[in-house]
Amino acid sequence: MKLNITIQPRFRIGLFPLTLLVFMGIAAFIALWRYIYGIGAISNLSNSYPWGFWVSFDLFTGIAISSGAFVIASLVYIFGLEQFRPLVRPTLVTALLGYVMEGMALLVELGQPHRIWYFLRYQNFTSFLLFIGLYVMIYIVVLTVEFAPAVFERLKWDKAAALLKRWMKPVVIFGAVISTLHQASLGSLLLIQPAKLHPLWWTPWIPPLFFVSAVAIGLAMTIFESSMTSRYFKRALETHLLEKLARGLPFVLGFYLVMRFVQLTLEGKLSLLFASGGMSLLFWAEILIGVLLPIVLFSFKRVRTSPGSLLTGALLTLAGMILNRFDVSWFAVKHYDPLTYAPAFMGKVTYFPSITEILVSVGIFSFGILAFGLAVKYLPVLEPEHHGAHAGD
Amino acid sequence: MTEIKHHAYLFDATRCIDCRACMVACSVENNIEMDKTRIWVSGVGVKGEFPNLQRATMVYHCMHCEHPDCMSACPVGAYSKRPDGPVVYNPEKCIGCRYCMNACPFGVPHFDYDKGIVEGAFIDKCTFCPQRIDVGEEPACVHTCPTDALEYGEREELLKKAHERIAAHPERYIQHVYGEFENGGTSYLIISHVPFEELGLPTLPEKPINEVSETAVGLTLPVALGWGAALTAVTVGVSLLKKKSAAEDEAEKKPEAEK
Ligand code: SF4
Ligand code: SF4
Repeated sequence: MKLNITIQPRFRIGLFPLTLLVFMGIAAFIALWRYIYGIGAISNLSNSYPWGFWVSFDLFTGIAISSGAFVIASLVYIFGLEQFRPLVRPTLVTALLGYVMEGMALLVELGQPHRIWYFLRYQNFTSFLLFIGLYVMIYIVVLTVEFAPAVFERLKWDKAAALLKRWMKPVVIFGAVISTLHQASLGSLLLIQPAKLHPLWWTPWIPPLFFVSAVAIGLAMTIFESSMTSRYFKRALETHLLEKLARGLPFVLGFYLVMRFVQLTLEGKLSLLFASGGMSLLFWAEILIGVLLPIVLFSFKRVRTSPGSLLTGALLTLAGMILNRFDVSWFAVKHYDPLTYAPAFMGKVTYFPSITEILVSVGIFSFGILAFGLAVKYLPVLEPEHHGAHAGD
Repeated sequence: MTEIKHHAYLFDATRCIDCRACMVACSVENNIEMDKTRIWVSGVGVKGEFPNLQRATMVYHCMHCEHPDCMSACPVGAYSKRPDGPVVYNPEKCIGCRYCMNACPFGVPHFDYDKGIVEGAFIDKCTFCPQRIDVGEEPACVHTCPTDALEYGEREELLKKAHERIAAHPERYIQHVYGEFENGGTSYLIISHVPFEELGLPTLPEKPINEVSETAVGLTLPVALGWGAALTAVTVGVSLLKKKSAAEDEAEKKPEAEK
């Protein structure tokens, strides 16, 4: 008998989602391995390097690229710029997923993952990490509330959606405050390491610097994510909106640049700009790629109105700013260096992430992308397209 | 034995012969696994040209800081500083985030990288042997040290002793007691015949290094309230403006409609 397998069209999985699923599977397997044999079995973290790729990527980068939500929501609800409303929900989904992903990463990273909720049980109020844990928990709730109308609409609970929408402004203000504190506190984690973080990066100005750069990252990320969804779902790009966001970027980045150099001048660190070898290089890479180049690019209307150049500019900003997050949390941190002869438990004094370590993050990230795709597909996340704006389809 | 008000150690690098008996004594006393330790003895090896050879060894363990950065950093308050000196760690609260390891400028706390979720991966560090000092005994490492390179006692008295020893042999010692003021003071004091950096000790300011971080944390609530007020003001202002311009539009439209 001839076996005839026909897969229903709606169950067909594309190649891209399938790849994502495979990555997720690999990460789950590695996580299982870690639960049995310990963190040392899957990572190159050691007593000399307690934090590495996971913290730089999952925590510092993940939270930074979630900042689009509060930036766009503030523009719409606080500054009353209604025209940006179509961007609110996509950025909300990104942020919500970003925070959930961070939680998942913690479940692998922590020595006692089942105690992740201990932030609620014991508090030490001098610790920035405590606040970060609390902000993550609170902000996930806020984002859920902000996103709930989309789900209610889908379920046709129109009354609930309308009620929630009426109370959205205070929720958004609260969310913006939490976000601001969270982005600033992330950098403040390093305030306790003046002896370890390179002086080009260690400064009491870290909190405001982190906040301002987070706004820039939020704008760039919104442009990036709109470009990607328009490509993958073959929708017209909201170029007129993105153009306006891109117009704001040079101002935010310019402010950041001024702040950074005023800080370095006041602290008398200008001489370090060229005298710190690799560290100077990293610093200039950050400034050139993430700040100066985007400022120049986005000052041209031609760049802001072409989808390709918009994406390029956003990617540059993101690359430079994410490099900044990696520098602050990893590259520019010098950990304790044992003397020539020291017992083995002091472990490796150099650190480079292991492949399994990276695969865990890749798997979690894949989950994020997949969940974003599903949300966009099945929930009213994207604005219905206007007549005549149909692309592809 | 007189009651000690502030427990402290004094380590004299000129006396240490690198025998590592303290390491063994500590592991036995505290039941530490074979491949781990709370004390580590290390150094830069032999230096100089024959016949002027010199060697230096450093015995590291927790410095029992007066303003512990591990304690300041731990989100769940797993560390506490006893009023009489020791900095102690409580595994019952620890979530295993390893922030304390980042925060400690001496690289002291270490982590069970080889433990899965069932055994639990915890931090370990010197506890100052509370089981011994609380009944009037010396910590195990001090008790074992054959050359008195490690001593134990009242912090004030050990400081005096250290300064006296330096003054008596100025040619032998560096003119400094490490830990008297470093990081706001520590309860592990060190005197040495080689510069302290050569012993692998960080150069730290006299102000506790967690001061900036703790001040910034303290600003959280004021900043939150101020920022919240500012954003509310903007929201209200913007919506008032909008209403006004909408009303004006209406007003403009009406006469037109009447015409
Ligand atoms: S030396 Fe490190 S672990 Fe010990 S009290 Fe000081 S900061 Fe804490
Ligand atoms: S690893 Fe444990 S003791 Fe160290 S900071 Fe985290 S919760 Fe506190």
